[in-house]
Amino acid sequence: MLVHDSAKKKSMEIAFRVRRQTGNDPATYQTYKLDLEPGATVLDALTQIKWEQDGTLAFRKNCRNAICGSCGMRINGKAALACATRAADVVDERGEILIQPFGNMPVIKDIVVDMQDFWKHLDQVEPYVSTAARNTPEKEFLQTPEQREKLEQSGNCILCGACYSECNSREINPEFVGPHALAKAYRMVEDNRDDQTEKRLERYNQPDYAWGCTRCFSCDEVCPMGVQPLEQIQKIRTKLLHSRKLPENTAMRHRRVLVAQIRNSGWLDETRFALEVFAKSPEALLALAPLGLRMLLKGKMPLRHHPIDNFAEVTTLIDAVHQDDYN
Amino acid sequence: MTTTKPLKYAYYPGCVSRGACRELYLSTAAVTKALGIELVELKSAACCGAGTFKEDSELLQDAVNARNLALAEAEGLTMMTQCSTCQGVLGRVNEKLQASEPAYRERIDALLTTEHHYNGTADVRHMLWILLQDYGLDNLKAKVKRPLTGLRCASFYGCYLLRGQQSGRVDDPVNPKSLEQVFTALGATPVEYRGRTRCCGFPLSSYDTKNAFAMAALRIDEAIEAEADCLVTPCPLCHLNLDSRQPEVEKAIGRRLGMPVLHLPQLIGLALGIESAQLGLGQHIVSTRPVLARLGL
Repeated sequence: MLVHDSAKKKSMEIAFRVRRQTGNDPATYQTYKLDLEPGATVLDALTQIKWEQDGTLAFRKNCRNAICGSCGMRINGKAALACATRAADVVDERGEILIQPFGNMPVIKDIVVDMQDFWKHLDQVEPYVSTAARNTPEKEFLQTPEQREKLEQSGNCILCGACYSECNSREINPEFVGPHALAKAYRMVEDNRDDQTEKRLERYNQPDYAWGCTRCFSCDEVCPMGVQPLEQIQKIRTKLLHSRKLPENTAMRHRRVLVAQIRNSGWLDETRFALEVFAKSPEALLALAPLGLRMLLKGKMPLRHHPIDNFAEVTTLIDAVHQDDYN
Repeated sequence: MTTTKPLKYAYYPGCVSRGACRELYLSTAAVTKALGIELVELKSAACCGAGTFKEDSELLQDAVNARNLALAEAEGLTMMTQCSTCQGVLGRVNEKLQASEPAYRERIDALLTTEHHYNGTADVRHMLWILLQDYGLDNLKAKVKRPLTGLRCASFYGCYLLRGQQSGRVDDPVNPKSLEQVFTALGATPVEYRGRTRCCGFPLSSYDTKNAFAMAALRIDEAIEAEADCLVTPCPLCHLNLDSRQPEVEKAIGRRLGMPVLHLPQLIGLALGIESAQLGLGQHIVSTRPVLARLGL
């Protein structure tokens, strides 16, 4: 990594390799070379290219201060804000920086992507404190600093789209609402002023919402604001798992059986795990029969399960945790 | 790096290597023996929870894994994992507890039985990292008896190995190189393709099968397009979705894929000249014969 020495104020030549595309036309790469002042951001560079070399280059920008979330793009393959990325910090050993548009969204032109689905998915989690709760005439809504603090992390989201761009689930499932929407969803269920918590949890309890995430950590990895969407998704899941009102779906059952099995023997008995998760669904079990047979024939399905040594310690530990944490 | 004293680790095998992927357990044993790495298996270690514990309760994930780490501490050894997910979970808990307030550490300790005490002194590292950092690629290269010349290997890292923990990372999550370095040391040819840092879809496989299979299909297709002979993974959970369920993935997309998926120690074992039966290469759902044929075996 090159580290600039601001005392010397030396400019450096950097080549920006930019992905160019209009709509569905084939993409091409164009390289722009320019001398940059130390400390210049990638957004400074793109702006300079647009003004001095090529007015047709399209990208979004506004605040230049990591507040508006407009200048999100892939820089060297990683989703980031151009205004919050110093060119000298990311230039490679060949003196080059690769600039591409976000993923998971169609390109309109060059670095500008169509974010329509991103907004649609945000709307689907109803990202507003419910209006019904606003009908209290007497006084304002009160919120303690502790209650407020729970909303801080997800409240920092600037809706730039970096997490959505890298989301593995969104890539294969166009109906999955995405990390940005679920981070907001957590903020809503945790907000003491909102009176729709139960309705919300019911909606989020589906594969296209809270259960659609694969825990790949890509959103946490790229979020420029420290929102850590995966952390928020896991907190929604905790609420779903601990709800006594929601009907149990396979995702919930999967988790409950896993914890129960480890409590019993210290580790997972994969064969029994499948049988227990799908105990209530004969069709699902039948669909798994060919897999089971293949696994059995290849010696991949142990018929005996031995607990780990001292497994009773794990039983006691899990019980103690539940007593500590649930109360 | 020259190794002066024999390498010894507290071995955390994980659930899958003792269940649905016995071949991983077998090949790890064979390879570490051949390399002269001593393993002390932690027989009373519990499942790490694979990220699921945290959804039930973060305290549960922290406490069970504090106990696991305490077992390695008691041996005075670095813990060796052989699963990306185990590594990500244990590594993350370790870095969290090491940095946490004394009050939280005390709460954890109060939950553990008197035999175990978490001090935060043990390191936990994946076998891949240990080979790179402790054993050394030059030493590994020196042990190669059967260079894997001409074998085109596509890496499949696993999410938790690349992005699970913040500290002690070996690879840049966007452009990792460690598996490719091992392939090269073994004489194989690394294949560059997009899917190697992405998700296999396993976590969805029990309740959103359609999308879990779509994700696996996408990854395998990307590797086929890059003309890979096989995928190689340090994560047995990825192996479950990519190998064990490949026939179902093929059925879902209506096309044959036939992509062999090797566990990392199996690939190393082949280069060390270990018999394929000892590496459990016959225990895969997708036949590994094309890989052996490519090597003239």
